[in-house]
Amino acid sequence: MNEIVRTYQLTKSYGTAEVVSSVNMTLRRGEIYGFLGPNGAGKSTVMKMLLGLVRPTGGEIELFGEKLMPGATEHLKRIGHLIETPVFYEKLTAEQNLELHAEYMGYYKKDAIREALEMVQLIGTQDKPVKQFSLGMKQRLGIARAISTRPELLLLDEPINGLDPEGIQLMRQLFRRLRDDWGIALLISSHLLGEIEQVADTIGVIDGGRLLREVSMESVHASTTEYVEIVTSNVNLAAFVLVDTLEVENIKRIGDNIIRIYDTKLSQEALTKGLIANDVPIQSINRKHPSLEEYFFDMVKGGESHASTY
Amino acid sequence: MLQLIKLELKKGRLTSYLWGALIAYLCIAGAMSVIYFADPANLEDPSFRSQAEMLSMIDLLVRATFIVYASVLLSKLIISEFKDKTIALLFAYPVNRKKLIFAKLAMVFVWTFVNVIVANLLVGGLFIGINSIWGYLSDPLQTEMLLQHGLTVFMQAFGAAGMCLLPLVAGLRNKSVPTTIVSSIVIVMIVCSNNLGFSLSSILAIPLSLSVLGILITYLSFRKIDQMDVA
Repeated sequence: MNEIVRTYQLTKSYGTAEVVSSVNMTLRRGEIYGFLGPNGAGKSTVMKMLLGLVRPTGGEIELFGEKLMPGATEHLKRIGHLIETPVFYEKLTAEQNLELHAEYMGYYKKDAIREALEMVQLIGTQDKPVKQFSLGMKQRLGIARAISTRPELLLLDEPINGLDPEGIQLMRQLFRRLRDDWGIALLISSHLLGEIEQVADTIGVIDGGRLLREVSMESVHASTTEYVEIVTSNVNLAAFVLVDTLEVENIKRIGDNIIRIYDTKLSQEALTKGLIANDVPIQSINRKHPSLEEYFFDMVKGGESHASTY
Repeated sequence: MLQLIKLELKKGRLTSYLWGALIAYLCIAGAMSVIYFADPANLEDPSFRSQAEMLSMIDLLVRATFIVYASVLLSKLIISEFKDKTIALLFAYPVNRKKLIFAKLAMVFVWTFVNVIVANLLVGGLFIGINSIWGYLSDPLQTEMLLQHGLTVFMQAFGAAGMCLLPLVAGLRNKSVPTTIVSSIVIVMIVCSNNLGFSLSSILAIPLSLSVLGILITYLSFRKIDQMDVA
């Protein structure tokens, strides 16, 4: 059993409003799944459904190879989570909060709490009441709590919120370590592409409650190859010369005066020479490397009003 | 279940509950002292004419105190979990939601029941002692009266323990601690107010019915907790 999470047509409606619509997603063991989408896209709701905090109104969830039944709780022993803002019993110390968590989870490994606190670099603060913690510290403590019971699946909702750059770096390393050393499957949500793309193996793009695309980062990188962009007042002539005369194979026409060439056989100089020799008017010619933002922007076009937030 | 109660005590710190109870006992004894020692000046119309009446007054004060105290506990154990959103944490544990809530309710029920009895024993004992030294109530203490009173206290304790759950329903509506506590005060004012020696709670059927109602309404409130979405 390699799949840790599978959802089939997962749907949640409140009255007539559908906040999650027919989501089919798959998360495998030892994989970091980046759940990317703007605020209000439905990321937290999907995570809450996986935790049983919100009941789906349609579809199915399969966790650890078994269909999730209403009211089931046994699978929760295998899940760590940090959903939305980290909440604690504020008057208790960090360590007491983690001890309480371990007891509710039925997990009794003595050194686990210390190890978790070490991993998020909160050793030394364990005897402080949580009410004295900053937001960043609470966020890290929330992650420590989530991993303290060595879960097989970790659900982290916007885990880098409130962290400073050093903390963000620490978290990235931690997520990779949890995946590589512990074999944990991580579902990490964020509205920031920059954050997700640095750690994720697979990215699921969600917007308006719909999972628009589920792609591996490998294929994303393959799709973001270099191209040469030509701006010309005569696109038809340029296209004819490129294909017929210069024998370029992979071109794409964008609008009325732009052509993109993905074929890298010819150098930019050779292209320029060939076009000029065939009287193609050239306004500009540039080599470009598309950013991931552009890639995802293109992907979510249609629900594009949100895409600029990635 | 005991394990869940143990964890609740850990969360709220057991010593704070014990201190709370001790302070409540002292307040009851203090209020009773004022009534008892201020009264001889008004011997024509005393607050109580016999030791049985004195014990009834103590019982009334004790119940009023612990019904309000229970609302504070309910606020701490249940309302604040919803208000502070720690309920999402709690409901994501591999424990049945009904068991989690039942453990909390059982704590409040047993706490109120036990404290009503213990406070009656302690404060009642104290004032029987005080009366035997400085007292103006000269009627003899009869075993039969004490047994009768003991039985009444037992039933009233059950009444208070069930009734004290009623404010929870009001408080849960808008997840409000003040609403919970004010509701309990309203209940106390209606049920425990003493008018010329008479209070609604002196008709045993009333507190007992309210107790059953409290238990029933609480059960109905949490009957579908397993299906509730935690936002």
